[in-house]
Amino acid sequence: MSEPVQRRKLVAGPLSKGDKWFFRSTSIAAHFAFVLVALVLVFLLVRAWPVLQSQGLGFITGNTWSPDQKPIVLQLGPMLWGSILIAFVGILIATPMAVSMAYLIVFMLPKRLAKAFTTLVDLLAALPSVVIGLWGLLVFTPLAASWAEVLNKYLGWIPIFGVSNAENGFMSSPFIAGWIVAVMIVPIITSVTREIFSQLDKDLINGALALGGSRLSTFRKVILPTSSGGVVGGVLLGLGRAVGETVAIFYVLNLTMDINWAQLLEPHGGAVASWILARFGEASGTEKQGLMAAGLVLFVITLIINYLANFIVNRAQPWRKN
Amino acid sequence: MAKALANQPWRKANVARRLQIFVASLIPLPLVVLITITAHLNPILSFAGLFLPLQLIAASVVGYLAYGRRGVGDAVLVVLTFFFSAFVLILLLSVLSSVVIQGSRAISWQFISQNNVYVSPTTSLDYGGVGHAVVGTLLVVLLTTIAAVPLGLAMAIYLTQSQSKTRNLVRTFTQALSGLPSVVSGLFILSIIEATHIGRSGFTGALALFPLMLPTVARVAEEALKLVPVDLRYAALALGAPNYRAFFQVILPAAKSGLLTALLLGLARVVGETAPLILTMNPSSSTSLNPFNGGMTTLPTYIYNYLASSYETSQARAWGAALVLLILVGFLFGLARVLGKNKSIKSKASK
Repeated sequence: MSEPVQRRKLVAGPLSKGDKWFFRSTSIAAHFAFVLVALVLVFLLVRAWPVLQSQGLGFITGNTWSPDQKPIVLQLGPMLWGSILIAFVGILIATPMAVSMAYLIVFMLPKRLAKAFTTLVDLLAALPSVVIGLWGLLVFTPLAASWAEVLNKYLGWIPIFGVSNAENGFMSSPFIAGWIVAVMIVPIITSVTREIFSQLDKDLINGALALGGSRLSTFRKVILPTSSGGVVGGVLLGLGRAVGETVAIFYVLNLTMDINWAQLLEPHGGAVASWILARFGEASGTEKQGLMAAGLVLFVITLIINYLANFIVNRAQPWRKN
Repeated sequence: MAKALANQPWRKANVARRLQIFVASLIPLPLVVLITITAHLNPILSFAGLFLPLQLIAASVVGYLAYGRRGVGDAVLVVLTFFFSAFVLILLLSVLSSVVIQGSRAISWQFISQNNVYVSPTTSLDYGGVGHAVVGTLLVVLLTTIAAVPLGLAMAIYLTQSQSKTRNLVRTFTQALSGLPSVVSGLFILSIIEATHIGRSGFTGALALFPLMLPTVARVAEEALKLVPVDLRYAALALGAPNYRAFFQVILPAAKSGLLTALLLGLARVVGETAPLILTMNPSSSTSLNPFNGGMTTLPTYIYNYLASSYETSQARAWGAALVLLILVGFLFGLARVLGKNKSIKSKASK
């Protein structure tokens, strides 16, 4: 055996100077995403640190927000819980609507109508949240208040539908805020679910139908189990959006530091993002730092939710391998 | 998808079946309407408590008569799907129609062109308008676009054209950014403003929109670049073109419409943003063409400010501005759709 021919390295690298610059500049740009997330975290953390340090864990769990008191007490508990509650209500309302819509688009409509419906759902996603807020305050709130009244009248014995005083008028409640959030997250869940449904193995479904299953049993026993991962991911993406929603909730909810555990029709509640907007105008000094801390908490929560959501969605869509 | 449908010889019969069931499910409707009117029931209550169960029963009976036991399952699913989907559409149409109807009362040429100097919450709608807000929106969004689009495109190039190992990491962080709540983006820029003592202006507003637009552009542009057949690129490289020329002369023209869609969807994402602008810009009632100094109002912040007061003329102004904003968004969205259509034709041809 003679000396083997020297092999060229098989890793393709940029050959020309132009290419080097091309890849180098795009690589710098791409890593800017990294830098941006880090910058947001660092800037907010630096500004929020004094408050986080002085308030300790009470910042998250306590329920007093009194910037005039000395020493100053800034606690976010009711707002955090309110965000979670509203997002949860929103998801409970939005998920059936979104999954039905996706099922309708993928399995029931003729192709042309399906396209039209997809466009309509995307249009819903493109509506600015301030417009939804405007509609929510002036059009939807009176309507939803009448729904809430009916709910309270007939299901009031269930604690979550009970109210302390029916004279309050059922406005500005977490129930209404949940509906508004639902309107905004339906398109997100629909588009993820639609994507998953349309990639399902058609043979599986046809097989189930051929075995004598009805559409309902096919949906429950074949379609849902095979696509549940993606649907859950879509719901989580919606959750991330719901937690960060600001302006629309600001209009339709009465924000109070008086914690509302789960009385959906009670006319007060909380939402971190809206609280930031509501307090921002009057805030100064330490309170502003407190709002920065609230923003930091919000960002960390959405980061975690989104990471989980994307992880699940990507795993549920193996055909989207890059 | 079309191919799969062509392989379903039973499909036509199925459409007929669903229609049958659906029409049958509407039989109780007149009955319920009659009962509601004569007994003065709450319409919502009678709809949810009377019509829906009756509809389910009627559809199930028809399904059972026509197709046996499996017809019942079909019927339940059809009714529930139509019900929930119709709800989504009703909500969407309610938003659109109320904005159009209420907004068209306020809107006029003078409302679109004039600015808001000398206008108080009770001034009649014959004076003042959203001209300054339209200009402000365009300027702020333009500034954001100038920064976010090239950067987003570069990210997309990196994700599709290079073979680097950090691509997944970059993708993860882009996704993380796309989940950034808009108010947090505002707070971030606010903390920069306070740290550096630069004045609040249209420019700082544009800065606050930047982290929101960037991930949208990057993600859609990446999808668009992925649709270009990789063979095209290989062919260009095999002919001896360096990567950057392969990109600019072959891939970029092929993905042009998709990249325009990325731009438009990015625009649609930020044009309606409110919270970050409230935190980072001072409102102004006069037309300002200088985004680097002084206050500026955009359409969303205009709506926000007028909705805060409960006077009727203020709310009318908010509706009018919402209609202008909606037209703007709809225009961008429609344009993106038309361009996106070209894209899908191309991708089909390439398959």
